Amino acid sequence: MPLSRKDFIINSFWASSGFIILNRTETVAGTLTGNGPIKVIVADYDRCTGCRTCETICSAFKTDTSGDKSPHGPGNCEQSNIRVWRFMPPVDIPVTCYLCHDTPCVASCPVSVSAETGRKALYRDESKGTIVCDLNRCIGCQSCAETCKTERSGVIYPDPEGSPTGMCNLCDGQPQCVAWCPYEALSFVEIWPEQTKYSTPQIIFEQLKHKLYTIQSH
Amino acid sequence: MKGVNGKILIADLTTKTTYTRMLSEQEYKLYLGGRGLGMKLLSEYLTDQGTDPLGPANPLMFMPGLLCGYPFPSSSRTCMVTKSPITKASKPTKQFASTVSYSNMGGFIGPEIKFAGYDGIVVIGRSDTPVYLFIENERVEIRDAQKFKGMTSNMFDEAIIKEVGDRRFESAYIGPGAERGVSYGSVMNTGARSAGRGGTGCVMGAKQLKAIVVRGSNNMETADPLLFKELLKTARLSFGADSESKTNWRYGGTANALQYSSDRGSQAVKNFSEGTFSGIEKINAHAARSRVWKRDMACFTCQLACKKSGFAKGAYGGVVNEGIEYETGTMLGANLLIDDLDGLHKMIEIADDYGIDIITLGNVLGFLMECYDKKLINTEFLDGIELNWGLVEPCISMIHKIGKMEGIGAEAAKGVRHLSEIIGNNSHDFAIHVKGHELAAWNVQGYAKSLGISYTTANRGACHMTGGDINGQNLSTLRDSLGICSFAASWYRNDLHFRHLIKAITGFDLTEEEFMETGERIFNLERWLNCREGFDRDDDALPERFFKDAYTSGPHKGVVLDRTEFNSVMDEYYKNRGWNLITGIPEHGTLKRLHII
Ligand code: SF4
Ligand code: SF4
Ligand code: SF4
Ligand code: SF4
Repeated sequence: MPLSRKDFIINSFWASSGFIILNRTETVAGTLTGNGPIKVIVADYDRCTGCRTCETICSAFKTDTSGDKSPHGPGNCEQSNIRVWRFMPPVDIPVTCYLCHDTPCVASCPVSVSAETGRKALYRDESKGTIVCDLNRCIGCQSCAETCKTERSGVIYPDPEGSPTGMCNLCDGQPQCVAWCPYEALSFVEIWPEQTKYSTPQIIFEQLKHKLYTIQSH
Repeated sequence: MKGVNGKILIADLTTKTTYTRMLSEQEYKLYLGGRGLGMKLLSEYLTDQGTDPLGPANPLMFMPGLLCGYPFPSSSRTCMVTKSPITKASKPTKQFASTVSYSNMGGFIGPEIKFAGYDGIVVIGRSDTPVYLFIENERVEIRDAQKFKGMTSNMFDEAIIKEVGDRRFESAYIGPGAERGVSYGSVMNTGARSAGRGGTGCVMGAKQLKAIVVRGSNNMETADPLLFKELLKTARLSFGADSESKTNWRYGGTANALQYSSDRGSQAVKNFSEGTFSGIEKINAHAARSRVWKRDMACFTCQLACKKSGFAKGAYGGVVNEGIEYETGTMLGANLLIDDLDGLHKMIEIADDYGIDIITLGNVLGFLMECYDKKLINTEFLDGIELNWGLVEPCISMIHKIGKMEGIGAEAAKGVRHLSEIIGNNSHDFAIHVKGHELAAWNVQGYAKSLGISYTTANRGACHMTGGDINGQNLSTLRDSLGICSFAASWYRNDLHFRHLIKAITGFDLTEEEFMETGERIFNLERWLNCREGFDRDDDALPERFFKDAYTSGPHKGVVLDRTEFNSVMDEYYKNRGWNLITGIPEHGTLKRLHII
C-alpha cells in the first residue's frame, strides 16, 4: 500500500533511496542557491498509476489561449512539461524539469553570455527558478536537450524551430499537475537542496524494478 | 467538422501501400466512432460471396472511440473490429459464414492513434513475411518484423520501443499464439492489456502483422471549448471525489467480484456446472492484495486504476505483469477448481505471453478436464497430460501446447465447439459456447433472464458485456463506440451524460431518442451482417448444460433453467427488437427506420 503523504515525505528525505525526483525553486525569494529549504515537485512512485492525467493537464494549461487559463482543455500529451515514462516490467515514472542547481543544460549551451543580460540562450529565470530559453539567441543546436537526456530528466524536446521546450515553469507557483493528479502522487514540498540526488528515468526505473520485481526485495 | 480527425488510415499489406480515406459528417453522426464506425466500415468490405476471416479480404480495424484522446476519465478504449475467425452458423448461406467480431482494449494506443491524426486504422490484404506498421503522424511505413517472429508479449513490448528508439510510441501487437493461428489469439498492448475476445489477434496473425506502433502530436479540437472545459472539470471533480466505489476499484479492480460472484452463486465453476467455489478465499482480491500485488495501474486519464502488477513467490514465482482479475481468476481458477494464487498468476502470465484469450482458454481447459474426468478422453488423447481438476501443472503444460499449436494443442486452439465435435459422446451438452464463441466467467443459472439474453444475442457470439435487455445492449454499444470503459460508465450520467460530451466535442446535439437510436442502429447493423451469413434464431442457443445440470451447492442449488420460460423471455426480446419472431432476422421496417438499408 502507498505510504501516507507524511510518511512518504519523511521516508524520501531521511531513509531514501533515490526514488524521488526533485524539482527545485525557491520558497523565499533569493534563496535559490542558499542553504535554506526550497520548494519542489516530488513524485511518489508508490502512488503513481501512470494515468497521464498530469500530462494532459499541463499541456492544456500551457496551450490554452482563450484567456480563462484552464487546465481542462483537450491538451495533447506531446506538449506537456511533465512526462510519464512507462517501462516493462510495469513501472511509471513521471518527471518534470528538476531545476538542477548546477544546470548542466545551461552549461552545455554554446551561445556566449550576453554582456547586457549576463545570460546564455538558455538560462535560469532568477525570480522563478525555472529554466528558460531566449528564442532570439538560441541557434537550435540541441546540446541542452542532449545533456538533459543523458544526465537528468530528459524533459527538453525541440519546438518546430529546434529550440528547447518542455522545461517546467511551475505554473507561476501553483503547479496544476500537482493539483489535479487523481492519485495524489505529486507533491509541491520543501526540501534542502544539498540532499538533492539526480537520476535519469532509466536509473530510477532500475531501482524501482529491483524494489518491486526481484526476489531479493521480498 | 470539429472533434474528429475526419479520416482513417488504410494499410494494404498485400501491395504494401498506405493511404487515407476521408469520412463524412453523416458517417460520424450515424456511427460515432470505435465499434460503431468500425461496423459501418466492415459492412462495406464484406462481400456477398462470403469473406474468409483469415483471408486477405477481411479488414482488421483498430478503432479508437469517439472520446478517445480527450482526457475524460476512463474514455480511452479502442475497439478491434473484424469478421470473426471463431464463430460458425448452423445453416450457413455462404462460404466462411461467421459473425462480426469486435473486442475492446484499454491502455494508451487509442489516444495515440487519434493524436497521429486518424480516427481508425484499417488493415487489409496479407503480407508474405512478418511486418509491423509504423505510424508517426503522416509518416506511415510497413516495416519488416522478421526478427520479432515468435516473440512473447512482454518481450516484444520492450523490444519495439528499442526498435523505434523512443519510449513515447505506443504499440499493439500479437503474441506467438496468434502468430501460429490459435483462433482465440488476442491483440495485446502494454504486455497485459488485451482485446482478448473474438479472435481479432488471430486475424492479425493471418495477415502476418506483428504490431502497429504509433505516435502522434496533433492537437485535439473541440466544437464547444467552453462547454468542454466545464464538463471535463465536472468529471474530474466528481470522479475524484471520495467514494466507496472508487476506493473499491482501486483496491481490487474486477477481482473484487471473485468473492461477490461466488457468494451469490453466479461464478463459472467446474466448467460451469457449479456457481460457487469453495476455494475462492484463497484467490480473491484480499489474498492477491496481501500476497502478490504491488502496483495499481490506470489506462489513459483513468481514475480507477483497476489493473495490478506485482511479484509472486515460491515455485511459480516471478514478475506478475497482469494481476488476477475477475475473468482471469474465474476462468483459470474457479472454473478449473484451482485455488493456488501463485500458480494462477503464473498461468495468466504464460497465456498473456502467448497472447491468447484467457476466457476461451479457461473454457477449453475446463471442457477437457470434464471430458477426462468423465473418461470420454484419455491421457493418450491429451498427449500424456493428466488433466485433473484443480492442478496447475497439467494446465501449464496444456497452455504451452496450445500456444505452440502442438499435438492436442492444435485441436484445443480451435475452441470447445471443435473439441466437442471430435470427442463426440454428447460432450456438446457441456461445451460452453454460443455460435462457437465461449461464455465468459458469469454463470447462467438463476440469472438467465438477463445473462441468457446477453450471451445468446451478442453479435460476436457469447458475450457477458453485451447487456441483458434491449436498452442495456444499445447503451453498451454506444459505450464501445465512444470508447468509455464499462467500469466507469455509471459515473457518466445527469450533467455528464454521454450526449453532452458528444455535443461539446463534435457539436452534434442529439436528443435522447436520437442518441439511443444510434446504439440501436449499430447493434442492428451487426445483427443484419450476421443474418446475411445465415445466422438466425436457432443460433441464439444456450448450451444444453443450463437446461439439465443443477448446481449441488450455493444459492441456486438444485434449479435448472426452464426451456419454455426462457423461450418466452426470448420471444419478448425479438418482438421488442423488431426482429422476426421465428427467424430472429431484423424486419425490413426496422432496418429502414434505422437507416441501415
Ligand atoms: S496524474 Fe499522477 S498518477 Fe497519473 S501519471 Fe501523473 S503523477 Fe502519475
Ligand atoms: S532542463 Fe534538464 S538539465 Fe536543465 S535543469 Fe531541467 S532537468 Fe536539469
Ligand atoms: S538548443 Fe538553443 S538553448 Fe539549447 S543549447 Fe542549443 S543554443 Fe542553447
Ligand atoms: S508545474 Fe505546471 S508547467 Fe510544471 S509540469 Fe506541472 S503543470 Fe506542467
